[in-house]
Amino acid sequence: MGLTSVSAAETAAARVPMRPFVDAAHVPPALTARGEPVTLRYAIVCPPRDDGLPCAGAGTVYLRPGTSGVFRAYPLGRGGDSSEGRYFLAVPPDIAADGFSYYAVLRDEDTGATTTVPSGGAAAPQLSLPLGDATPVSLGRHSFGRPRDPDAAAAEAPWGSAAGEVGLAGSRALGFSGPSSFDVEADGTVDVLDSVNGRVLRWEHGRPRAVTLDGREELSDFAAAPDGGFEVLQPQGTFVRYRADGTPEWHGKLADRTWAKLAHGRSGSVVLQEPSEQWLPVADAGAPLTRDEQVRAARSAKPLQNGHDLAVARVGANELRLAELRGAARVRSWRITSETPLGEVQLAESRGNRIVVVVRVYTDDRDEFEVLVLDPDRVAARFAVASDSWTETAPLARFRLAHGGLYRLRTTPSGASVDRFDLEVPQ
Amino acid sequence: MRRFLGLLVLAFALTATTGAQAYHRFWTNCNADPATFMTTMTRDAAQDYANAARYEGYQWGGGCWNYDDVDAYPYDPPADAGMHGEGGDCSGLTFKTWRESTDTWRDGRWYWRALRNVHGPYDAAAFRDGVGAPNHVVAKSTAGVMDAFASGTHIGMVFMRSPYGGDQIVEAKCEACGTNIFYRTYRSDSSYGGVGRWGWTG
Repeated sequence: MGLTSVSAAETAAARVPMRPFVDAAHVPPALTARGEPVTLRYAIVCPPRDDGLPCAGAGTVYLRPGTSGVFRAYPLGRGGDSSEGRYFLAVPPDIAADGFSYYAVLRDEDTGATTTVPSGGAAAPQLSLPLGDATPVSLGRHSFGRPRDPDAAAAEAPWGSAAGEVGLAGSRALGFSGPSSFDVEADGTVDVLDSVNGRVLRWEHGRPRAVTLDGREELSDFAAAPDGGFEVLQPQGTFVRYRADGTPEWHGKLADRTWAKLAHGRSGSVVLQEPSEQWLPVADAGAPLTRDEQVRAARSAKPLQNGHDLAVARVGANELRLAELRGAARVRSWRITSETPLGEVQLAESRGNRIVVVVRVYTDDRDEFEVLVLDPDRVAARFAVASDSWTETAPLARFRLAHGGLYRLRTTPSGASVDRFDLEVPQ
Repeated sequence: MRRFLGLLVLAFALTATTGAQAYHRFWTNCNADPATFMTTMTRDAAQDYANAARYEGYQWGGGCWNYDDVDAYPYDPPADAGMHGEGGDCSGLTFKTWRESTDTWRDGRWYWRALRNVHGPYDAAAFRDGVGAPNHVVAKSTAGVMDAFASGTHIGMVFMRSPYGGDQIVEAKCEACGTNIFYRTYRSDSSYGGVGRWGWTG
């Protein structure tokens, strides 16, 4: 009887037809160089067809010069190559030159399903700005194997589950995971998300204390709240606010399907989300925001603690563009090039009147981080930091900028540590 | 004695239930249908295929799922192919998405439907090393949509790159996290190499 009912239920489950949906991916041209042709490209993703062909997609881009006024509709073209998105619109050069805002409505012609990118549509469109007269920064060819040593170890723990230890999971066959993220509070307290043991390890004045959470939090991102609580962003997009004693206060759900980084905004946490490729606030003054509130308040540039925003665009394999903005007005910008390929931007924050950037440089078999302290017209300081990641972490959670300097989460076969690099540079 | 017999009956009942779990898991829904030979294979059709496996779970050594957006057997013990749960593993998802043959010398395009239970002959390390006629190593900096990054333990396919320099990766990641599109930094991680599939047609 038991066997029959299980089999019947599973067979029914196997026959469930796929629900109609359409998803998308798009790389916004956030910062454009003078004279550069601008083409918006979209991947439209639908349920797989029985004939193995791509879906019959279509879409419209709503575009306007600047950040105000009426959007004008432009139909997307359909190209023969999908390597960067099959559906495209060449932005008229007169509109691209001075910057524009836009969103797209994409559809599957077979099912009629539609989606809007970014999720906020006209209420929070994507922004593309000219880079302007950017300060050029040439990194040249990276010299691997000469990283700077940290100035101090702010926190250290061996692998394990006892007091003062940090959890390690996995195997040689599966790969290892350990602490997936960390944060540093204003008073220098270091908080490490001990994901495997389901707790936060807080180093106050150098002594670790454990705060037990709900359960394991592997590959989650993490932020310490000003009131002593914690915020944890889980892999499937659930955002959990914990009180200082580790009891859950509330749960929220991200608006978009994928997240890249949890960061402190000016009035609450913000999350870089895809496919919008925008920073969406998830909480305001300690209270959760609904999906609609998140998408309507989305911004293309990251809010900085100095009151400005920072637009970031990794272009090709060897270029990073940055622009500090006041609203949509450019305050200053940098065009960073490197002979060695550039990877992800782990951190880009303001520190006084400077911008601190941590970007990975890599070849096919080596990687390190470059730390840049940027003045408006020059590089005030620059050094390399070893990758030192023996376990997997949340994707953009290796570095934090705090009062005492730049902090890095490091893991080795024997344990984990948070190291500090001083950033005192003469003005 | 009556109490003993009662306990004995209860013990048999529990054993039978456990047996049902072990022998009637998700793979009983799967089939052994032949793959369909195809002349085309576009990167966006591959995006469609892999994206549809999201939420359907992860099974070590597996390659069979439906489209109900639910993992029928989440949180199985890791690295145990005998659990017969729903979903592919990382290399199984890549093999099916890349329309590969179970014969490593064939480089044609073979379309496997979701409920066809097939993992393919490659693990993550074999993909990383470009083993098999359809596969090859690519420079990581040039890897594009539906190329992949592979290490000795894992492989994930590029769904789209990102302005922050990481990538949206579609992957069967683990029992607890299932199959989904996650943001990853495999491209710049020295434990990963770039892998491509020959024969895209658009």
